[in-house]
Amino acid sequence: MFAYVLRRFAGAVPTLFIIVTIAFFMIRLAPGGPFDLERPLDPLIMKNLERAYNFDKPLWQQYLIYLGNLAQGDLGPSFTRRDFSVVDLFRTGLPVSIQLGGIALSIALVVGVFLGALAALRQNTWVDYMVVGTATFGITIPTFVIAPVFSLFFGVMMGWLPAGGWGTWQHMVLPIATLALPQIAIIARLTRGATIEALRSNHVRTARAYGLPSYVVVGVHALRAAILPVVSYLGPTAAALLTGSVVVETIFGIPGIGRYFVQGALGRDYTLVMGTVVVIACFVIVFNLIVDVLYAWLDPRVRYD
Amino acid sequence: MSNTTLEQASGPREPLVAGRSLGQDAWLRLRRNRAAVASAVVLLLLALAGIVGPWIHAHPYDRIYPQYVRAPASLEAYPKEDAIVPAFESALGRARVDIGEIELSGSTVRAPVSDDEALDPRIVRYIDRSDLFSNARLEDEEGNEMMEGATSAFMVADVQRLRFVFGTDANGRDLLSRILIGIRISLAIGVLASMMALLLGVTYGAIAGYLGGRVDNLMMRVVDVLYSLPFIFFVILLVVFFGRNFVLIFIAIGCTEWLDMARIVRGQTLTIKRQEYVQAAEALGVSDAGIVRRHIIPNALGPVVVFVTLLVPKAILLESLLSFLGLGVQEPLTSLGLLIAEGAANMRGAAWLLIYPAVTLTAILFALNFLGDGLRDALDPKDR
Repeated sequence: MFAYVLRRFAGAVPTLFIIVTIAFFMIRLAPGGPFDLERPLDPLIMKNLERAYNFDKPLWQQYLIYLGNLAQGDLGPSFTRRDFSVVDLFRTGLPVSIQLGGIALSIALVVGVFLGALAALRQNTWVDYMVVGTATFGITIPTFVIAPVFSLFFGVMMGWLPAGGWGTWQHMVLPIATLALPQIAIIARLTRGATIEALRSNHVRTARAYGLPSYVVVGVHALRAAILPVVSYLGPTAAALLTGSVVVETIFGIPGIGRYFVQGALGRDYTLVMGTVVVIACFVIVFNLIVDVLYAWLDPRVRYD
Repeated sequence: MSNTTLEQASGPREPLVAGRSLGQDAWLRLRRNRAAVASAVVLLLLALAGIVGPWIHAHPYDRIYPQYVRAPASLEAYPKEDAIVPAFESALGRARVDIGEIELSGSTVRAPVSDDEALDPRIVRYIDRSDLFSNARLEDEEGNEMMEGATSAFMVADVQRLRFVFGTDANGRDLLSRILIGIRISLAIGVLASMMALLLGVTYGAIAGYLGGRVDNLMMRVVDVLYSLPFIFFVILLVVFFGRNFVLIFIAIGCTEWLDMARIVRGQTLTIKRQEYVQAAEALGVSDAGIVRRHIIPNALGPVVVFVTLLVPKAILLESLLSFLGLGVQEPLTSLGLLIAEGAANMRGAAWLLIYPAVTLTAILFALNFLGDGLRDALDPKDR
């Protein structure tokens, strides 16, 4: 298994390379530059700036320099946030995003699996209809509607929780709820479908025939099979949640890294955009790997090859 | 897998009498689904509102009423009774004449004005300029037009009654008319982007599936690489690249959403190509074009239609997200996402700015999702 993990990491390098290359040339070929201000800079200053950041060299040389720095873990200086390197920005922002996303993900997983399994066990009763109905709501309403509505209702109208900002645990409640809600809905729906199928499967019938207590039949035998689609859904989702959501961070004013891509792309902050792409790609790759390993552990029929 | 092919082979046998086509069958099943029918009705009404509404609604979507900034939603007409006299007074105050008692009767306001010199008839403009009054005029005691050179007269104006059923936004534009134009833009982008994805995806997928072999392999690797690029980032980069423009936005969304379509169509083409009925048709000597027309297209259509209905809300969402981030359509044009973003920025003290667009967008998304689910059940009965 260790060899498998190593092989997967080796396989991730070319993928990362392609993504970095495409992103680099796309953002660099976009019109405008990081020093395009409303009042044009003095040509001499512009020239010095371009020399300082290697912009006077041909693009392919800059690309090679960037790759070289990247290999050493240097993502370069940020152009729009002076005095900060991109690594600094991630060092302060990433823990915030991971904290929010991680809690939201854990809540979504526990609540979603519980609700989904409950609905499957009580199929076609009011419990089931409640769960399915709520899940439809959660899936349909987009985050950028939920977030401001939550902020308005709980923050502004009721005054129970701060409408935005960062610092205490109260500040985390609304963003986490916003992040977790759609995931709860999707996970509940996935779990419900898979549990219904698993309850009809041969191994669950066998377990029942052995006379095992029903909580063992459901909790151990049925759920182990039912959780598989959830696990494969969780890979990309975990990566997306942990790297921050631009909508949630913008509305609640959270200093995470979710906003950096959009801000960087608009301000032509080349290094910030590239850094975000690299970080997110790494998360996606790592979580897909974790999912594959988990999958094989949950379902012994799956083999590494 | 073997189960389904067995079922297909021996399962639904067309009765010899009064056969119903696949389409008729699907239509019957769809009509029996109450949620889908209700959604279709809601969607039709919303689409109608988006297409016709902006033309017949009283307020143009880009007309600014400076006196009615953030006017709350109300079924009553503006101005409110107690706001008329102060507004008249402040408007008249700019004329720098002496003002007497202002009286309000019905829908006209009347106030005696006088000055040391002859009254300039052009001062009516100060009143006309306000959104609250129209048809301002200077009259004498009997209600005739003021004589030239008079030093005292009555300023009379009609109160202009305006209705803002959904209130006005932070710039003083009628929210209802902006929502109507937003529905139009959002639905248009949703449909156009889906058509774009449909065109690209079906062509690409069908070619890959039909040719098969090495070409198929290469074409699908390209799709895989594009898949691993973060979608929303791709759209943002495209928008940053080409600038903000209505046409480019739906092209950008279509360009990122065609990948799933290509996969679905390719998979469909691959499986259908190997079905027994296609082999039978081949054995009977039906031409390639005939097989494609009679067997492959009708059987591949179901999943494609279903996927398109689910693609429309996805495209609307993506456009709304772009607008929300400030990358979508540009003012004074608007979309539901942009309205929600503005509402979120103004929600303190003006909650209606957030609530009405949010409810509208949610209604559209719900209707589209239910309709898509209904269509899937109707067109793909194997799935249940």
